[in-house]
Amino acid sequence: MEANLAHASGHDDDGAVHSHISSAQFYWGIFGALVFLTFVTVLVSYYDFGSANIVIAMVVATAKAGLVATFFMHLRHDKLFNTLAFLAAFLFLAIFILLTYDDIGRRGEVDNDYGGTIKAQTGQPAPGGEPATTATSDETAGEPPVEGAPEKKR
Amino acid sequence: MANVSEPVNPGKGHAEHGGDAHAHPSFLAHHFDTPAQQFNAAKLGMWVFIATEILMFGGLFCAYAIWRAVDPAIFDQAHHFLNKKMGASNTIVLLFSSLTAALAVRSAQVGKRKLTSIYLVITILCACAFLVIKYFEYSHKIHLGLLPGHCFGHPGFSGAIQNGEEVGTCLRVHADQAAGTPEWVRAIDEDGHVQLLPPRSNMYFGLYFMMTGLHGLHVLIGMSILGWVLVRNMKGQFSKEYFTAVDLGALYWHLVDLVWIYLFPLLYLVGKPE
Amino acid sequence: MAAVDIPISGAHAADTHDDPDASYLKAGRGIGSWLTTLDHKRIGLMYLTMVCLAFFTGGIFALLIRLELFSRGRTIMDAETYNRFFTLHGAIMVFLFIIPSVPAALGNFFLPIMIGAKDVAFPRLNLFSYYIYLLGAAVALLSIIMGSVDTGWTFYTPYSVQTQNSVISMTLGAFILGFSSILTGLNFLVTVHTMRAPGCTWSRMPLFVWGMYATALIQVLATPVLAITLLLLCAERFFGIGIFDPKLGGDPVLFQHFFWFYSHPAVYIMIVPGMAITSELIATFSRRAIFGQFAIAMSSISLAVLGFLVWGHHLFAAGMSEYATMLFSALTFLVAIPSGVKVFNWTATIYKGSILWASPMLYAMAFIFLFTIGGLTGLFLGTLNVDIHLTDTYFVVAHFHYVMMGGTVIAFVGGLLYWWPKMTGKMHDEVKAKIGFVFVFVGFNTVFIPQFIMGSRGMPRRYYDYLPQYEIFHRISTVGSWILGTGLLITGYTLLEALWRGKRAPRNPWGSAGYEWMTDTPPCLANFHKTPVFTRGPYDYHLATPEELATGWDEVEQDGKKG
Repeated sequence: MEANLAHASGHDDDGAVHSHISSAQFYWGIFGALVFLTFVTVLVSYYDFGSANIVIAMVVATAKAGLVATFFMHLRHDKLFNTLAFLAAFLFLAIFILLTYDDIGRRGEVDNDYGGTIKAQTGQPAPGGEPATTATSDETAGEPPVEGAPEKKR
Repeated sequence: MANVSEPVNPGKGHAEHGGDAHAHPSFLAHHFDTPAQQFNAAKLGMWVFIATEILMFGGLFCAYAIWRAVDPAIFDQAHHFLNKKMGASNTIVLLFSSLTAALAVRSAQVGKRKLTSIYLVITILCACAFLVIKYFEYSHKIHLGLLPGHCFGHPGFSGAIQNGEEVGTCLRVHADQAAGTPEWVRAIDEDGHVQLLPPRSNMYFGLYFMMTGLHGLHVLIGMSILGWVLVRNMKGQFSKEYFTAVDLGALYWHLVDLVWIYLFPLLYLVGKPE
Repeated sequence: MAAVDIPISGAHAADTHDDPDASYLKAGRGIGSWLTTLDHKRIGLMYLTMVCLAFFTGGIFALLIRLELFSRGRTIMDAETYNRFFTLHGAIMVFLFIIPSVPAALGNFFLPIMIGAKDVAFPRLNLFSYYIYLLGAAVALLSIIMGSVDTGWTFYTPYSVQTQNSVISMTLGAFILGFSSILTGLNFLVTVHTMRAPGCTWSRMPLFVWGMYATALIQVLATPVLAITLLLLCAERFFGIGIFDPKLGGDPVLFQHFFWFYSHPAVYIMIVPGMAITSELIATFSRRAIFGQFAIAMSSISLAVLGFLVWGHHLFAAGMSEYATMLFSALTFLVAIPSGVKVFNWTATIYKGSILWASPMLYAMAFIFLFTIGGLTGLFLGTLNVDIHLTDTYFVVAHFHYVMMGGTVIAFVGGLLYWWPKMTGKMHDEVKAKIGFVFVFVGFNTVFIPQFIMGSRGMPRRYYDYLPQYEIFHRISTVGSWILGTGLLITGYTLLEALWRGKRAPRNPWGSAGYEWMTDTPPCLANFHKTPVFTRGPYDYHLATPEELATGWDEVEQDGKKG
């Protein structure tokens, strides 16, 4: 009957705390990398890469967050489950955002594909059909107004 | 032989029963068997708590992501009203404070009490610097009336002065208040340019204040936690064997930094450059 | 007698002022010792008192609602009051009763014992989360006094943004209660990971603990989103931010996404503990190992994970995109599978078991029957075309009452009857408990079967008044509520009566092989006199010794003769 000490940290028999200690230079090095990445992301923001803007920003931010979590927060030398807990939060957050977007960003698409809400001949709304919401229309606010020009009715 | 009974070897790993000098350290709570068990439990507890904080802030990021995807015009324009330089400074300040927090933990791990205190103090000072910069940002926005919801462009806020005359803040262009006409707003941005904000831009500032406000609240809480850890350290309650509170306090502070790492680009950097 | 008579040794003795072998109820006297206790068992009992009070209050509101609906038109209250009452019934039952019920009361008491630990990982946090619960309850009470809310417990926008009622205080109450839930879940997760006794491997962990673990996962991951949702709702009300209110250009369906991302996993917070209790009851009262123990454990975890993917099924008719409705419907069908695994495994356990028809077993059997009905009717609602007709009707009301009440409440009462001797050291009167059960079972079905019928025939939910063809169903339902209420009162009385008139309970009255029955009744302060070593599973009747399975009734009678 072997006692299975499920609670001990695994490799320590004396029960004392043994945690990894990084050198101060190492932490300064990570800080340097973080500052560099901040510099990069601010610099990039002065140029327009279109829809890649946000992707680049998020990639850099994730790299910075990864450095902080792995080294400053010691996940690198910690129990694996702590990392899993951390990543699980992001996973469920991603599920939340993606599935919500699947609704709000894609309203009326099936209707638009089939022309179900607008009568094809007249362009009038079909009886009982609702026009697609503003969430899917390409115009959210229309063109910015021209100063001094007479106001056009929409 | 009973199957659920007293342990085979009561002394093994159960330090409190042995004759060991560190038999039952004062920092070991009675319901834990070993310091390692207590430390691992504390760390796991902190990481689970960090996961909950990520999900809470994540809700705000979700609102941001959804509305950005659906109404990008607002986000493309409104970010000009945020000062990139102040935001970048805040980012560097927080990153530096994260460094000093990590160094504080390191000092505690090697038993250097005074150094731990110094690093904790620097971290708290950085937090103060962050809040000061934030104060300037907020007061500028309040001054311009760039506030959430109903308060947006409220005539109660004094406007910016340009060329000796009061320009006013969010002047609603188009006196035509006919129903259905979307209301554009003219305002002066951080660089002094006149910007036209699409209708409903107040929603952007609503998200801005909620996200940075909740973050700022966490900065305050983090400062309190680190202050409490500092007091305990000065009382000599930590050692090479027991520095858990320093570790957990620093973890909380790193979380605050993590949130800002994502807030900064999303609010300040991503949008159409001038 | 295994582990019962061994005197305590080591550091634990120094922590108790009195005899450390004495029951936890005797360790420390006076109300102060309860209010400042760090003992998970006492904290569990304090939670139990509060959730029973909440259940009673929510039940009163239910009876009043049903009384109003007995006849068409005004019966005892006007429409405004009716709206407030069904909102309060929902909010109190969901936030103050059912979510904390099993985890905070029974889970707090038994989770550490069942893994051989002395307490939870963070006892002070445990007490703190109890006080947060009290604070949340007080703020919710404040809201009621200030005029209460009539939005429904779901606080849908835009009404909740625009109504004059005290929405902010009610949502703040729920916000605070959410933190209590998060901290309890956090405590349980860490306890299970770090404080299992020697020999308590994951595969030997009792299914009740697996259920509490899965519930804790959900509590920790889902509740923070509720917190931010309620904050955003308050901000929308206060500032008019414009994300939820269509008048300000917002999207009310976005609120529903935010709300249900928490509230759907919340229903798994409600049901998984009930299933966990049922596993324990079925094993003990069939006196055999649970069939497919590992499968049941994994099904709890699956429910926890899959439960996060299906929240959109509450929004089918709200105006979601077609892609979203199709995706959520498919995922909803998927989430029914783990529940099915459990029901099949319980049935297989009972088959050819040595059944003891004690009152907890009656409740366990009722759980299987009622939960199955509730779960199957959920599939109707998960089917898109059928849901168009059934959504927001009494069919939905009956469905969720079958799973929440016929499920969780039934299991909760069964668990109370099962563990009452262990917690209090007193045996309740089984005859009264069984009579109470009959009233509860008959009453419950009388209330809710007519609701399925009238729901499928079009009776909308939350309506104050209705068309003549529904009156007979409402009347039967109301009469059923009186029967159900009587049954619950009888059961409550039975449990309370045991405290002052009950016989002293033996160590293991049900002859169970579970770990919690291997220690004193009631347990001593540190749960076990010495750290236990588990060398068999909790359902291994073939491995347990006769001493472990002995009920101890003969000892009780011996003592009775002596004293």
